Amino acid sequence: MSAVTAEKNEETHEDHHDHYEPFWKKYIFSTDHKTIGIQYGFTALVFLAFGFFLMMVMRWSIAYPDRAVPLLADWPWFQAWLDDGGKVTGDLYNMFGAMHGTIMVFLGVVPLAFGAFGNYVTPLQIGAPDMAFPRLNMASYWLYLIGGVLMFVSFFLPSGAAKAGWTNYSPLATTTDLHYGDLFWTGQTQWLMGMVFLISSSLLGAVNFICTIINLRCRGMTWMRMPFFVWAMLVTGFLLLLAFPPLEVAAIMQLMDRLAGTSFFVPTGLNVSGMAFDAAGGGSPLLYQHLFWFLAHPEVYVLILPALAIVSEVIPCNTRKPLWGYKTMVYAVMVLGFLAFIVWAHHMYITGMGPAVSTFFQTTTVLISIPSVILITSLLISMWGGSIRFTVPMLFATAFIPMFGIGGLTGLPLAFSLTDLHLHDTYYVIGHFHYVVAPGTIFGLFAGIYHWYPKMTGRMMSTRLGHLHFWPSLIFMNGIFAPMFFQGMAGFHRRAFDGGKAYEQISSQIFSEPNTFVSNICEMMNVIEPDAPLRMIDLNIITSGSAWLLAVFQVPFIINLFISAFKGKKVESDNPWDATTLEWATPTPPPHGNFASEPVAYRGPYEYSVPGAATDFSPQFESDPASLVDEKEKEESSAT
Amino acid sequence: MSEETHDWGKHKKTYLMVGIALFFFTGVTIALALVPWLDVGPPGPTPGDYVLGLAVATTKAGLVAVIFMHLNHERGLIYKTLVFTVLFFISLMALTLFAEFDPIREQYDTFETTNGKLTEQE
Amino acid sequence: MEIPYEVTPRRDTGLYNSKLAIWLFLASEVMLFGGLFSGYVFLRLGVQDGVDNPWPWGLNVHKGYVWLGFLNTLILIGSSVGVVFAWVALKERNWRRFQVLMYAVVACAVAFMCIKSVEYNSKLTKHHGIKLLDNSVMEGKILDGTDKIRFSGDKASFSLQGALPIFLREIAGDEFPELKLETSEGEDAVTFTSKAEFKKWFYQARRDTASELAKERKRYRSELASGTENPAPVSVSTGATVIAAKPFALNGNPRTVIGHSDTTMNYRDGSKVDGTLTGDDVLFEIHEVDMQLVMPTKQRESLLWDVVDDENAKQEFFTKQHKYYETMRAYYEPRGETIPEKMLRGHKLNLHYVHVGGEHAEGHGSDGEKHKKGDAEHDGEEVHTSESKPSASKVEKDTGHHGTITVPRDKIKFMGNHGPRYGNYYAIYFTMTALHGLHVVGGALVLLYFVVFGKKMFLKNPEHLANRVEVGGLFWHFVDLIWIFLFPIMYLL
Repeated sequence: MSAVTAEKNEETHEDHHDHYEPFWKKYIFSTDHKTIGIQYGFTALVFLAFGFFLMMVMRWSIAYPDRAVPLLADWPWFQAWLDDGGKVTGDLYNMFGAMHGTIMVFLGVVPLAFGAFGNYVTPLQIGAPDMAFPRLNMASYWLYLIGGVLMFVSFFLPSGAAKAGWTNYSPLATTTDLHYGDLFWTGQTQWLMGMVFLISSSLLGAVNFICTIINLRCRGMTWMRMPFFVWAMLVTGFLLLLAFPPLEVAAIMQLMDRLAGTSFFVPTGLNVSGMAFDAAGGGSPLLYQHLFWFLAHPEVYVLILPALAIVSEVIPCNTRKPLWGYKTMVYAVMVLGFLAFIVWAHHMYITGMGPAVSTFFQTTTVLISIPSVILITSLLISMWGGSIRFTVPMLFATAFIPMFGIGGLTGLPLAFSLTDLHLHDTYYVIGHFHYVVAPGTIFGLFAGIYHWYPKMTGRMMSTRLGHLHFWPSLIFMNGIFAPMFFQGMAGFHRRAFDGGKAYEQISSQIFSEPNTFVSNICEMMNVIEPDAPLRMIDLNIITSGSAWLLAVFQVPFIINLFISAFKGKKVESDNPWDATTLEWATPTPPPHGNFASEPVAYRGPYEYSVPGAATDFSPQFESDPASLVDEKEKEESSAT
Repeated sequence: MSEETHDWGKHKKTYLMVGIALFFFTGVTIALALVPWLDVGPPGPTPGDYVLGLAVATTKAGLVAVIFMHLNHERGLIYKTLVFTVLFFISLMALTLFAEFDPIREQYDTFETTNGKLTEQE
Repeated sequence: MEIPYEVTPRRDTGLYNSKLAIWLFLASEVMLFGGLFSGYVFLRLGVQDGVDNPWPWGLNVHKGYVWLGFLNTLILIGSSVGVVFAWVALKERNWRRFQVLMYAVVACAVAFMCIKSVEYNSKLTKHHGIKLLDNSVMEGKILDGTDKIRFSGDKASFSLQGALPIFLREIAGDEFPELKLETSEGEDAVTFTSKAEFKKWFYQARRDTASELAKERKRYRSELASGTENPAPVSVSTGATVIAAKPFALNGNPRTVIGHSDTTMNYRDGSKVDGTLTGDDVLFEIHEVDMQLVMPTKQRESLLWDVVDDENAKQEFFTKQHKYYETMRAYYEPRGETIPEKMLRGHKLNLHYVHVGGEHAEGHGSDGEKHKKGDAEHDGEEVHTSESKPSASKVEKDTGHHGTITVPRDKIKFMGNHGPRYGNYYAIYFTMTALHGLHVVGGALVLLYFVVFGKKMFLKNPEHLANRVEVGGLFWHFVDLIWIFLFPIMYLL
C-alpha cells in the first residue's frame, strides 16, 4: 500500500467518527464485512437449528414407527402430513429428509463456515480494511437470505417442500408433485429457485473472497505469512467459484424440465404411476447426476476446509507452539482442492459405470486421502509436546481431530466400487459423512465461535457452560453416528421411514447377545426387554435418543451465546488468548475500517515460544525491524 | 501500464485487423455449412464437419480472447487462474466420456454399442 | 475508509480489484456455459437411434432464419470491436468518441435482442409438430386453439386440500360462469359470480377443512390412546362440487388434462368436470412429413398415411425418400462401404420432407400469415363447436396454401410448438440462447450505465472510468465469445 492511500485511510477514518449511520444501514443493509459476517452467522445458526428439528422428527419415526409423534401432532400444518393415528407418513419423512440435507449443507454449514467466519475473520487476518467489494458482499448475503426464505416458505405450500432427496435426482425430482395445478409454487420447483439464488450468492461471495485475499493483503503479508485459515478460505473460494456453476446449470435444466416441459433429464418412454409421461424424451438422468456431483463433491471440501482451518488456528494458539508443517499444509490444501474436482463419480459407482472409468475415480479418490491425512497429521503433531491450555475452543478443536479421522477412514470402503456397491445408500454412508460434517465440521465451527467471540463482543464466553456444552455433545454425537456403521453394514437402508421395521426378519439380526455388557446397559436404559438380545433395529432407539439429548445440550450453548454478550467477563486486552495473527491487533470489537493504524505483518503467522523472545508469542503485528527490511527488499525485487 | 504517451495508433490497427478477421471467419463458418463441396465426409453434418466448424469457431474465440481480452499480455495470476479453469472445464466436458465410453467394458461387451462401433472390429 | 487498489494496480499482483474480479467471474462463467456445452454434447451423443428423437440439423431447423443467426453473429462481433475502440477512446481521453462508440454498442445489443425475438416468435407460434403413436412425425401448424380439448362443463368437483382447481383457469372467454355450490339440505346456497369470490371462498373452505380434519384426528388419537377398541375412523369430507347455472366452455390444456371422455374431463390435480365434449380433434396444416423413427419396412403402412390419406403425398414422399437413398449410395458405394443403419432410416438432409397438397417452392416463413387470410373460418367458430369439424380426414387442396387435416387425438403421442418442449435440441437451444440473451441484456445495461452516468467520473478520474469500461468490455467480449460457439453448434451443425 502506498503512503498516499494510507493517508487517505487516515482521513476517512476521521470522517467516519462523526458520520452518523441510521440503524438499518448499520445493522441490516450493512456493507461492513463484520456485520455481514454476524448476519450470516445468525441466519445460519437459525437454519442449523431448523434442520436439526427436521431430523429429530425423522428420528422419531425411525425409532418408534408405531407411535404418534409427541407434542407436534396437534398443530394443523403438521398434522396434515401425519396419518390419522398421528404417525409420520412416508411423504413427511421424504420431505424432511430432503430438506434436512439441503438446509444443513447449503443454508447452515456453508454460510456459517464460509459466510460467517470467512467474512469476519479473513479481512482481519490479512490486515484489510474490508472486503474488496463491500456492496457485492451485502448482495451475496441478501441473495442467500432470499434463497433460504424460499426454501423455508416451500414448507407451507400445498405441496409441501421438496421430497426428492437433497441430491434431487431426476427423473424423480422432475415428476414429483406434478399433479399440482401451479407447478411453480410447488416445493420441488421452489427448491430449484432457492438453489439458483444460493448458488448466485456463493459465486459472488467466492469472487469477493479471492479478490480480497489476493489484492488486499496488508504490507508485509506475503503469501507464506498468511495464516492457514486464509489459505483454506482461498482454496474454498476457488472450489465454490468453479464447482458451483455446473450445479446452477443442472438446476436451470431441471427448472426447465418442470416448468417448460423440456426433457433434459427425462428418458424416452418414461412412465409415471402407470401413465406415459408427457414429454419428448431423449434426456439422460445420468447427466443430472454428473452435473450434481461435479459440484457436490467439491462441496464436501467446502464444508470441511473452513472447519479444519479454524482448528488449525485454535491449536497453535492453545499449545503455544508453531503450527507443525505450515508449508506442507498449505501445499496439501491446494492439492486437496485440485483433486476435489476429479473424484466426483465415486458417488455414482452404482449407476452402471464401466470398470475403466470406475478405476480412474477409485484411484483419484484414494489419492485425495493423502493430502487429507497430511493435514490431520500435521495438526496432531502440532500438539505433540506442547503445554496445552484446555480452553473450551481447544476442547472442540481436540475433539475435531479424532472425529474427522473416523469420518475419513470409514470413507475408504466407500471409495472402492466393490465395497461401495454393498454399502451404497445404507446407514453406513450416513454415518461416514456425518462423522465428517457433524462432529467434524460442527465441532470446528463451535471452536471458532468460542475462539473469536471475545473479539466480536469484547466479552468471554462462560467456560462452565462451555464444558456443559462440550462433553455431552461429544458423547451424544458418537451415540448418534457410531451405531449407524453397524446398522449400515447389516444393510439398513437410509430411505426406510420406519427404520427397517418392514423388514423385521432381517433387521432383527442380533447386535449383542443377552446379558453382555452392552445389552445390560441398554436394558438399564429401557431400550430392550430384560434378557432379550440387542437387535440391530434396537440401535435405532439409541441413535434417536442420543439425537434428542444432543438437542437438549445445545441449550447451554445458546444461553452462553446470548448471555455472555452482556454478562460475560470483559476482556482485559485486545488479544485475550495471546495469539499471534493480525485480527488480534484490532480494537475490540473492531470498528468500521478495522485497524486503528495501518497494519503491517512483520513475521510468520504462528511464531509461538520463539527462543529468546520476551513472551511465548511473537505477534505478526509486533515490529521486528530486521525482518521488515528484508521483506521489503524481496517485495521490490519481485515486483520488478 | 497506462502511460499517457502510449502509442494507441498501433493498437487500433491491430484491433481493426482482428475485427476484419472475425468477420471473415464468420463468412468461412457459414460457407462450410452451406457450400456443398466444402462438406467433409458423408452428406449432412458429420464428425468431419463438426471438427472443421469448431476449429474455425475456436480460432475466432482465440482471437477475441487473446487480442480483445488482452490475454497476450496479462498478469501471471490471471493465467494461473485460467489454467485451472481450463483443466476443470476439460474434465467437465469429459462427462460424456465418463458416462458413455469405457475401453474395458467395450472390449468385453458382446452387444453392439449404440454407435455401432463394435461392428468395425476385426 | 477506502478500499485500496480500486483504480491503481497493486504492485506485486499487477492488478486492480475489479479486473481480478471480472476474470474470476469469467472463470465461473466458463464453468457455467461449460456445463451447458457439456450437456449439449452429452445429449447429442446420447441419442439412441430409433428410440430417441433424432438430433435435427441446425440448418433444417432454422431454414430461412439461419441468416438471422448469421446477422446476429456479425452484430455481436461488431459490438465487440466497438467496445475495444471505446476503451481506446477513453485511454486517449476522448469523451465524444467514447460516447458515440458506446451508444453504438448498446444499439447493437438492442438489435441483437430484437432479431432473437423474431426467431423465438417464429418457433413458438408458427411451427408445430405432431408425433403419432408409431413415431411418425408431421410438421406444420396447429390451427389456433385446436390443440386444446374443447369441452362444455355443467358440474365440477374438486378437492379442498391443495391448490386452486385447474379447471378454473381454463374457462374459455373472460366471463366467469355462474357457479353454485352443491350443499346438503338446510345449508345456505352459495353462488359465485366472479373468480375472486370463488377464490375467497375456496381458501376459507380449505382452512375449515384442515381444522376439521385436525379435530377429527385428535379425537381419533385420544380414543386410541384411551384404549377404545376400534374407534370410529376419521371421516371428513375434503371435496366440493359446483354446478353451473348454464354450461360453460372450457379449453382443456392437454398437459393438465390426464384423461377425458365424452362426458368427463379429469385434471391432473384430481378435479373433474362433467359435461359434454365439444371437440378434441386437432386441425393441422401439414407442411412436412418425417419418418426417421419408423423402420424402413414399416414406413409404407405407417399410421401417418391413415391420417393424411392422400395417395399423391404418399407417392411423393417415397419418391423423395428414394432420391435420398440414392444420394447416400452415391457417397458410400464408391468407397466400398455399406450405408449405416441410421442413415437408411434416418435422414440428415431436408429431402425427406414433402409438402402435402402444397407446392414445394413455397417458403415456410410466410405460412403463418397466409393461413390467417385463407383459413379465417377455422379460427373462429370451429374451435369451440363440434359440428363444423371436417367430416373426413381428407386433405383440402384449395387455393395454394397447405392442406389442412384432422388428426384424431387418440392417435397422437406428442404434440407441441417448436418450443423447448419439442425435443432436446430445442430445449438446449432455448436454454442456452436465453441464458446468453440474459448476459447480453445485463452487459448492455452495465455499458449503458457507463456512458450515461460516466461523464462525472471521466472529468474527475478518467483512468477509473477506463478501468470500468475495460472490465465491462471483458465481460462483453466473453458474451461474444460464447456466441461464436453457439452460432455454429445451434444453427449450422
